[in-house]
Amino acid sequence: MNDAVNAVAEQPKVEEKKDRGEKIDFKMVTFVLAGKEYGIDIMNVKEIAHAGRFTYVPNAAPFVRGVYNLRGEIISIIDLRTMFHLPAERKDEGTLENLLILQIHDQVFGIIVDQIDKVVGINRASIQPPHPIFGDINVKYIRGIVENLSKLYIILDVEKIFMPKAKEEKEDAYRHPVSSRTVDAEPAVPTHVAPDDAADDDLELGFIREALAALRDFATSPINEAWFRHRFDEWKNIRSGRDLQLKEGGEADLYLEGFYSPYTGELWGQEYVEAFEAILPAVEGASINVWNPGCGKGFETWSIACALKRKYPDSRIKIWANDSDLLNISMAPNMVFSFDAPPEYYADFMVQGRNGWSFRQDIRDAIFFEFHDVLNTNSVPPSDLIVCRDMLSFLNPLDQKRVIVDFAEKLKKNGVAVVGANERLDFEGWEPAGTGIMTAYAKV
Amino acid sequence: MRVEYINPFVESAFNVLKEVLQGDIKRGELYLKSTSMPVMGVAALVGLAGDVEGRVLFDMEKASALKIASAMNGEQLTAMDELVKATITELANMITAQAVTKLHELGFRFDLTPPAIFTGDNMEVSDQDVEALIVPMETPQGKIEINVAIRERG
Repeated sequence: MNDAVNAVAEQPKVEEKKDRGEKIDFKMVTFVLAGKEYGIDIMNVKEIAHAGRFTYVPNAAPFVRGVYNLRGEIISIIDLRTMFHLPAERKDEGTLENLLILQIHDQVFGIIVDQIDKVVGINRASIQPPHPIFGDINVKYIRGIVENLSKLYIILDVEKIFMPKAKEEKEDAYRHPVSSRTVDAEPAVPTHVAPDDAADDDLELGFIREALAALRDFATSPINEAWFRHRFDEWKNIRSGRDLQLKEGGEADLYLEGFYSPYTGELWGQEYVEAFEAILPAVEGASINVWNPGCGKGFETWSIACALKRKYPDSRIKIWANDSDLLNISMAPNMVFSFDAPPEYYADFMVQGRNGWSFRQDIRDAIFFEFHDVLNTNSVPPSDLIVCRDMLSFLNPLDQKRVIVDFAEKLKKNGVAVVGANERLDFEGWEPAGTGIMTAYAKV
Repeated sequence: MRVEYINPFVESAFNVLKEVLQGDIKRGELYLKSTSMPVMGVAALVGLAGDVEGRVLFDMEKASALKIASAMNGEQLTAMDELVKATITELANMITAQAVTKLHELGFRFDLTPPAIFTGDNMEVSDQDVEALIVPMETPQGKIEINVAIRERG
């Protein structure tokens, strides 16, 4: 059996005095993590213990310190500081850690904290909702903030932290050691399994793919595979040994950082417009049709309209810009800028009105902003140019193919399709036509 | 569908329904639907022409149509007779006309075709090459789905 020091179970006794007759209907055990005070609902706390020399579990998540024999019950021990990326001092072998033994539904496990304080009774109504600026710990894991005797406590929502709805999330991380390691809880030397790096990476890549699809609708496919793999290498550096998996939206956003094309959500800068002008096809005839699916808030559409107006001053320009996000697209037609003076490049195309700067009428007339889903029938006329940055990657792979086929159908013979900076159309029938920072393809 | 067209339809549907039904009108979430769609039982259709081509379809259940017609006429109507049909047709006409007036003020030229009404079970409308914007409206008399499909002339 585990020869670790026996846990001293002491039931919390200290209670706060009632504060000015305010009814106490919520009690929490308070503790310190990296110098800050936190609380956990006492109903989730089974007991308090001091223990050390946890049995290491190979291949568990970094925040799982191991398993521990609590009076015959094998429980897993989670280091809350590591879990929340807070600094954790490594104690000497044999020094006891402060443990809160939690019980959530029928799961019992221990969490390591810096210091356990006391039991504080408060009124439920005095709990304030968390404010987004609370750093360190993700806001969705915070149940609220409460003040007691001029101390602020952050109340953690342990049910949310340890019982996430999505199965692939942390649940595995602690269920695993408990269920599969109970039988041999010998305090053995950690078995060192020589990891097969390539196979490991494939596994991690697979998980990240799934997480990106589930959390952000980002579908990995030949379109973005090169970027995705490159980003994975960067990601390994960023996480430097920590868990590579994406567990929630914020992490998926972090992973996707750098995927988006230059000037997403703002007017294109001069150097980008110049790169754009360089790839524009030679247009015969007096009219130019452009299709701009996934135009979002419309910044790129306005940028395109100005660039075309400059390049082909005498042509009739028509841009069909569409997006399936009603909120984004509904703001696009009447875009007003509040800057003092427009950027030099756009100065010629803008006029100052009562509410700020907006685009000239002839530029406005060139654009049709449509609330439209590219997966429905696209009724755009044959186009000289298609600009579709960072939209394909957010369709499922089958729909991606369908839309690319539609691109090929709608694009005129010498037409050019611009895709996102990290997207590739290396398919039959397309050949690269981009330069530098502009990724573009011509129809062969 | 052009973004500029959306609000006039949503607003006039809300205003007209509020005025004629004198009740609490709620607008549901707008969404896009692809071509073919089943009809709930009563469908009033107004065609659009001019700078654009398209149509507006007002779709509701028979029971709702009866209740709405009853409310608008101030008497209890129980059968799908001429009066009910004429009332629903008129409602469709009012909403579309008000939207078109608003659009006209914004500089878009639309013409209306006379409204037509379809009733029956298991009907389906399909028009090719155009997706429809669905504006769901909740009235005390029942649900009306306004289904707007407008395409620019190429």
